Amino acid sequence: MSTRLSTSTSTVRAPQATWILAVAEMRLMTREWAAMVFAFAFPVLLMLILAGVFGTEPSEEYGGATPDDYYVADYVAVPLGALALIGLPVMVAGYRERGVLRRFASAGVPVGVVLAAQALVTVVLVVLGATAVLAVAAPVYGVPAIQRPGMVLVGLALGTVVMLGIGLVLGMLARTTRSAQALGLLAFFPMWLLGAGGPPRAVMPEPMQVVSDVLPLGRVSAAIRESWLGTSSIGADLTALLAWLLIVGVLTVLARRRLR
Amino acid sequence: MTQPFISVHNLSKRYGGRQVLHDVTFEAYRGEILGIVGRNGMGKTTTVEIVQGLRDRDGGQVDVAGHDPAHDRSALREVVGAQLQSCALPDRMRVDEALRVFTRLAGDVVDWRELREQWGLTQLGRSAYGGLSGGERQRLFIALALANRPRVVFLDELTQGLDPVARQDTWRLVRQVRDRGATVVLVTHDMEEAHLLCDRVVLLHQGRVSAVGTPRELAAGVCGGVRISFSAQPVDLSGIESVPGVATVRHDGTTAEVTGSAVAAVTVAAELARRGLAPHDYDVHRPGLAEAFLLLTTPPANESETVTPQVGAR
Repeated sequence: MSTRLSTSTSTVRAPQATWILAVAEMRLMTREWAAMVFAFAFPVLLMLILAGVFGTEPSEEYGGATPDDYYVADYVAVPLGALALIGLPVMVAGYRERGVLRRFASAGVPVGVVLAAQALVTVVLVVLGATAVLAVAAPVYGVPAIQRPGMVLVGLALGTVVMLGIGLVLGMLARTTRSAQALGLLAFFPMWLLGAGGPPRAVMPEPMQVVSDVLPLGRVSAAIRESWLGTSSIGADLTALLAWLLIVGVLTVLARRRLR
Repeated sequence: MTQPFISVHNLSKRYGGRQVLHDVTFEAYRGEILGIVGRNGMGKTTTVEIVQGLRDRDGGQVDVAGHDPAHDRSALREVVGAQLQSCALPDRMRVDEALRVFTRLAGDVVDWRELREQWGLTQLGRSAYGGLSGGERQRLFIALALANRPRVVFLDELTQGLDPVARQDTWRLVRQVRDRGATVVLVTHDMEEAHLLCDRVVLLHQGRVSAVGTPRELAAGVCGGVRISFSAQPVDLSGIESVPGVATVRHDGTTAEVTGSAVAAVTVAAELARRGLAPHDYDVHRPGLAEAFLLLTTPPANESETVTPQVGAR
């Protein structure tokens, strides 16, 4: 029985499929700006407000930096938080809820490939969001010089992987788009206020400092900010992020089973 | 017929402790539309998802074009096209984009413009998925299911929620898919659709195959014969019950109703003609798949009428 087709015309491999979907998603994104307004406007607005409120005098509470420099460097990580914790889960849960994942699965595209494409799109948006923060800060407060660019990149890269992982897990756990949004907001606001964009850790009482240290987004913004301003070493932050990477890895495997 | 293109033998599946498929056995041949029919929740979708390699099975053998779906998923991807139940595309994705993305994912074995042309989607190229009507969506989905030039296409509840015109259009498209040489496996709970569209049907009930055959075979085999009605005077009908093929004759004063085997449709007409009667409303009702299905799947609780199915699971 010669029923086997030749394999020369095989369907595409996973990395290529991820790329095809990511490009298509990017195109869709350009038509869905309304959904992205929060992730882009919120960090820029808050950066403008906080850097303006706390002035330009170097301060101990800000690790010896000026508050405006502190908040400009700090807010580089906030778009990552908003996009990974709110945007990504809503996207993943929405695709599952509406049957888009099934549509791609029936074309032989594994769920993992669709999720990877969405994560890739989120990375592009994170870069755009961080660029927007810096572009708005430049004429208003100025962008502080980067003291340790290599470490900034390490913090940004590791932080992106961890935060995207958390976003994917939230998206896989949420049953509906609405619950994904609720979970995302619930995850984002404490992380933002207590670590990445709220009051500096030094002014917090000890219990809040402990909470702040545990939350991953604070570690990401600290790693970026401290190496950007050269104020302190980021060893502890990177260690905490590596621990989070491990946790997220385990959670991803567990959550992935729910999609089966 | 030649060798089966799909063969499923003693397939079984459990969800948790619940057995949803018991020894399901059937075959599909090249170039036919095979209907997997039954009520909702009877295991139709589970069956086709296992055959497509989207779900694991607990027992039995499945072969699709020489591949075992449980082991050769990537090989199967090249042979199988599918439209699953409750699927969607992103609302803002345009028809052209969808066609391009799915043909690229399938390795560009089909030109997306050709697909667009063939399935009448050219006018809709720039329309977003979210703005398409139900019928247009199904047309797009059929086109997408063919993006890898599959040899078997699975279509699950394709016409659910479509208006009658869109349903007819979709049926025409499904016949086109078959006429271009693909085997079509159509999952439906709509007996009219199965009767009109399928070359053969597999009737699933409570996770078991309760009948296999052409829609006509099943209807005739299960319901047995025809029902004839026409207007006539009682006096005209004496002796009709002894005409070959006739089982019962009833008359309510104006209308006669005769039941019997299929041949009665002709013998009763001939007898009436011989007596010089030509009732203008002579009507022969052949039971459809829907009636056969009801008889096969309704528990024989009605004491008055018990019908024994005559068609077995083979």
